[in-house]
Amino acid sequence: MSSKEELLQKLHDTVVAFDEEGTRQAAEEIVSGGHDPLDAVMNGLAYGMETVGRLFKEQEYFVPEVLLCADALNAGMAVLKPHIPSSGGDNSLGRVVIGTIQGDVHDIGKNLVKLMLDVGGFTVHDLGNNVPYESFIEEQERTGAEIIGISAMLTTTMMGMKKVIELAKKKDPRIAVMIGGAPVTPNVVKLFKADGYAQSASTVVAEAKRLMGAFCPAQ
Amino acid sequence: MTLKERFMKRLIGGGTDFVPVGSTCAYGMVELMQRCGYERPLADTDPVAMAALSLAGHQYAGFEWVKAMGWDITSLSHAMGCSLGEPAIDLPYYIKTHPFEDRIEALDCPADLTERGRFPAFRRQFELIRQSVGNELAVFGMSEGPFTCAANLVGTEKLMKMTIRETAKVQAAMDVTVAAMIKAVNFAFENGADYYCIADPTSGTDLMSPRTWKQIMLPAMKKIVAEARGPIVLHICGNADMIVKMMCESGVAGISIEEKTNLEAAVETAHSMGVKVFGNVSSSDTLFLGTPEQCRAESLKALEAGVDFLAPGCGIAPLTPLENVLQMKEARDEFLPAATRP
Repeated sequence: MSSKEELLQKLHDTVVAFDEEGTRQAAEEIVSGGHDPLDAVMNGLAYGMETVGRLFKEQEYFVPEVLLCADALNAGMAVLKPHIPSSGGDNSLGRVVIGTIQGDVHDIGKNLVKLMLDVGGFTVHDLGNNVPYESFIEEQERTGAEIIGISAMLTTTMMGMKKVIELAKKKDPRIAVMIGGAPVTPNVVKLFKADGYAQSASTVVAEAKRLMGAFCPAQ
Repeated sequence: MTLKERFMKRLIGGGTDFVPVGSTCAYGMVELMQRCGYERPLADTDPVAMAALSLAGHQYAGFEWVKAMGWDITSLSHAMGCSLGEPAIDLPYYIKTHPFEDRIEALDCPADLTERGRFPAFRRQFELIRQSVGNELAVFGMSEGPFTCAANLVGTEKLMKMTIRETAKVQAAMDVTVAAMIKAVNFAFENGADYYCIADPTSGTDLMSPRTWKQIMLPAMKKIVAEARGPIVLHICGNADMIVKMMCESGVAGISIEEKTNLEAAVETAHSMGVKVFGNVSSSDTLFLGTPEQCRAESLKALEAGVDFLAPGCGIAPLTPLENVLQMKEARDEFLPAATRP
């Protein structure tokens, strides 16, 4: 039987190698061996995804590889999650409402950002794609999220992000809004008065943490 | 020499010292729609309205060549089975469904492809444009490229994963979209296009690795170029630094790139391979959101970097101010010696 350290390494390696079956098996061994499933998520799966993020940043991996790594991670999560006892409280780093803006059905980038935030310790409320402007605000109100994340793939739909930012700030200036997507540049962020920006999924967790430090939670 | 002669000489002839200004991507601008009196959705579907908007680019924006075949990149996918989302005056058609998501093997190139979707309207649009411009202006056709089309039909995420796990199936799907692409390209040439722009944003390096581009896109583009009855320009969004050389190797007459690509390096690579460069004034940051001064400055920068055709880096956003777009021509006129201006 493999030791806990070996299994954690196996979880990491199989996620990086997008070996879905290998990740599932390692996760099952964690459970059958009586090891801590939360430890396996954080120091096996999430650690693997961190490596994937680095490889993505270094342009060794591209979106297809990251998508397959995400599938492996999800396969491991499906095995481990039912065995993680609920802490009874909210121990996440923060809450994020995320979605692709109205008129835009592209969601690969948004899904990767969601995954990175999830793995990075945030609670993510995903509204999907083609999300009406008001729905971001309604979901923020429902969940008490500190951050709204908006994605746009098209220059034509990008202007909608500005409208959501205006709506959010009108409701509560303490809500942090971060934006991203192919047409979004630092200049757009400035013009739209967004609080945060991630050029790619690999930098989104750091940016979300920065926003959590910079903004008071909108409770 | 007419503008068309000068344009074509620069694209495929011996070259001139004249840098044409225009757009090799979509320019469905609301201000142009208002000027010519035809707004979306009519300007997307009705040949008279479509032709009027094509010509408005020349009449009001100073473009020295004009575009046919709509103001979005969905027409080929639509003709092959995708349904489209409803356009608004400031929102082009977009892909709504991926009909081959669970049956990639069933993907097929329809025999009557150019009788489907908006192709009959495009045919009439070409005719109307030609009646108006005669041989004075170059006219181009455009659609989404083979990988983007396959991604629309199968689903982008699914196809992206398959590029690694099920390459043979992706190749088979690409064989179909390449065949469709060749039909669309030659449809345009038969109807009076002077060149064809293939826009393939989904194969850009924001999504696809250069190794996959080499394996899947390069042979596809080579085949299309070999079968096309006229010159091809390839547009790729985002940072194309890692694939510029391969884009040129495909045999295209020109490449169209965004501001995220290193223009000086791209020009050097392209010119060494006999390929022309279109670009690369930022569609979003500068033309859409910038000031006229910024548009002029960025246009001059592109001219100084050696661009062959001064153009936006990508499709022009619908709500882009016309005043900003006009700065491209102003900058070109300022840059070129008076004797070479049209």
